[in-house]
Amino acid sequence: MTRIERYVPSDKEKAFLDQVDNGKHDRQIINGIKKFVDGSAPQDMQNFYSPEELKAITDLDGTDRDLQKRMPIKVTRHYFEQATKSKAMRTLVKASPKETYDLDGSEDPGKQMSYSPVEGLIHKYELGLIYVASTCSAHCRFCYREELIAKKEVTRPDGTVAPKGLAQIKDIVEYVLEHNRLVDENGGRHPETGRERLREILMSGGDPMVLSNKNIAQWLSALSQAGIESIRIGTKEMAFYPKRFDETFFAMLDAFHELYPQTNLRMMVHFNHPDEFLAKDFEGNYIPHPQGGLEWIPETHAAVQEFCRRPWINVDNQSPIIAGINDDSDALRIMQRELKRNGVENHYFFCGRDIVGHKAFNVPIEKAWHILNESQKGLSGVEAHARLSITHYKGKTEVAAVTNDPVPGVKGGENGVVIFKLLRSAEDAPDRCKVTIVGRNSEAIWFSGYDDRVIIDEAELYSMYDIKALTEAAA
Amino acid sequence: MGNLHDICRHRYCIQCKYTDCVSVCPVSCFYEGPNFLVIHPDECIDCDACVAECPVEAIFDENELPAEKQHFLLINEELAQKWPQILDPKDPLPEADKWANVDNKLEHLIKTAPEH
Repeated sequence: MTRIERYVPSDKEKAFLDQVDNGKHDRQIINGIKKFVDGSAPQDMQNFYSPEELKAITDLDGTDRDLQKRMPIKVTRHYFEQATKSKAMRTLVKASPKETYDLDGSEDPGKQMSYSPVEGLIHKYELGLIYVASTCSAHCRFCYREELIAKKEVTRPDGTVAPKGLAQIKDIVEYVLEHNRLVDENGGRHPETGRERLREILMSGGDPMVLSNKNIAQWLSALSQAGIESIRIGTKEMAFYPKRFDETFFAMLDAFHELYPQTNLRMMVHFNHPDEFLAKDFEGNYIPHPQGGLEWIPETHAAVQEFCRRPWINVDNQSPIIAGINDDSDALRIMQRELKRNGVENHYFFCGRDIVGHKAFNVPIEKAWHILNESQKGLSGVEAHARLSITHYKGKTEVAAVTNDPVPGVKGGENGVVIFKLLRSAEDAPDRCKVTIVGRNSEAIWFSGYDDRVIIDEAELYSMYDIKALTEAAA
Repeated sequence: MGNLHDICRHRYCIQCKYTDCVSVCPVSCFYEGPNFLVIHPDECIDCDACVAECPVEAIFDENELPAEKQHFLLINEELAQKWPQILDPKDPLPEADKWANVDNKLEHLIKTAPEH
């Protein structure tokens, strides 16, 4: 076996870690479909799947359409209880045979492996993303990290094949220190890649909040000590098990802040639908609060408030728009309004990625834009900050506008155009805000749906694959 | 309290006590007795990292636990309440290799809390 070489914390880190209490967390997770099939799930949870649903799922076991192999089935008691009152939440967490009707898709969407200089680290932009856990408290069926969660073999740029590994503190700290040293010595840019200093690390996975307080604390202090200015924690635990954000967790954060006051924490939370945080009455309706707004699920509200009480922490929500879950303007309008009102910024909405089986989840790009645009009608400016983003290999791209006026002579142009804006290029910054304009295709769920109707490609989203704009092709 | 533990140690750990599992556990949910380790059923997050790590294949996903070893679920639950948490890996017991392939070791399980 390979013994992992451990990171040795400094005395300052040790003093911090010694104060950390792990607390106790009883998530009451149901893992796999077996307990629903053999009746060993707790009594009140047994009807979560109907006998017909169970049969349809288990019929696929061992076939190439095996749902449990594609993405392990997992739910917490908290999510189950809210899901009994929400169709959207049930769709999010319950396995369905339609996930594997069409297995078209990419095993490594966004070609992340080509941006991975160290196991478990994706280095794009001035931001590094690290995988610190390979599971979550429950599993979203549409998860685009299915290869990590389901431990699938992934082909690396050098041709070797192995499951994605987790980041180790020692490796990441060494990489950050070395990268930043080279950048500093070279006047602010890395001599080979041209990248800037690594200032920000996103802890992801899986969900970092499944880790113990001590384990999270060790990451925070090690990254801070290595010179990282902002640490993000990407988590859906606020929806899956809000009680995870308990006194012991906030005591750990406060102790961290006292020792490392210059480090900013950004909680990237993941609510897909307002049903995940709003309370409902017996008839299934949201409950207006006498002083305005709507009533929240108490433990979820308490967790958000604890974060907002700490000025060194930001809370941002981002969510994909997924068919059958939140492709609903009214739900998204309520979500954006309630989140902002309670201190959570609305950051990005995403188009679904081209993962294996994505056709069961993805909403066409133009429809997703329309849903978000409709949802933001009636919101005030600060409530409507969120943009629709689609992740191109080149970098994060905004679906900035979809027009209706005809553009003659362009394929799909009789219905208007779609305007993509490159927000940030993964390698470097110079292409920021360059634009690509394509003729419309209401069916398109990925960039490839516009290959034959590119009008202007300043952002080079297509030319990098030798796909020419119409004018250029005609010339 | 849930009884939802999904991973369970079976008899081959007894008298060996390799701790490779401890070094990969993201939530430190292993608890240590004199000659056996157990997993705390409520703290385990079912990431399966330890399953692959054990050199004597003593750890099973609960969904794959053979019928004749089901009684280890209760042993896990009982001892995880009683024993101290183990945070760092250490050397296996001195005669680990000798015991690794021995069956029916349950009679050798010492359930008392360790002295140290």
